[in-house]
Amino acid sequence: MNAEDIRAKIEEALPGSRVQVRDTTGGGDHFEAVVVATQFTGKSVVEQHRMIYSILGPAMSGPIHALALRTSTPTA
Amino acid sequence: MSSVDDRIQSLIDGSKVLLFMKGNRAIPMCGFSAAVIQVLDRTNVPYQTVDVLQDSEIREGVKSFSNWPTIPQLYVGGKFVGGCDIVREMDSRGELAPLLRTATSEN
Repeated sequence: MNAEDIRAKIEEALPGSRVQVRDTTGGGDHFEAVVVATQFTGKSVVEQHRMIYSILGPAMSGPIHALALRTSTPTA
Repeated sequence: MSSVDDRIQSLIDGSKVLLFMKGNRAIPMCGFSAAVIQVLDRTNVPYQTVDVLQDSEIREGVKSFSNWPTIPQLYVGGKFVGGCDIVREMDSRGELAPLLRTATSEN
């Protein structure tokens, strides 16, 4: 799993979202993601992060050791 | 509820501020746990920690209990607050200390 795979997975699940993913150590297991999506509207940050975790599914307990998340809705 | 859920629930009920983490307050065993300890220590609010590395049942159990796949996990006043990113974000917005103070001053 690389940063691009993660980005593609999130963008596919949240059409229209803006996603940036960075491999923070270069080792392919620690990542940082910034996700801006209208789908987050009306949801708490905990719910927003849960959405991302569920999109990534089993990868969260395997190949992805750490994923720092910043989620937000687009500002008009 | 499974017995591990009961154990986790009673841990949460037993502390107003509880952090499930890797390692302990003095020696965190993961950068994300260490980051949360650093934030909590700055607030001067009393809190308890559970070292998930000492208890594999809790380590896996707390993930499904909270519906949250990663450690650390912070509970305040019996409610799940979030992981490292959320705790740091709340701290930088000045929201964490008031939440902790309210929870610890309640009976």
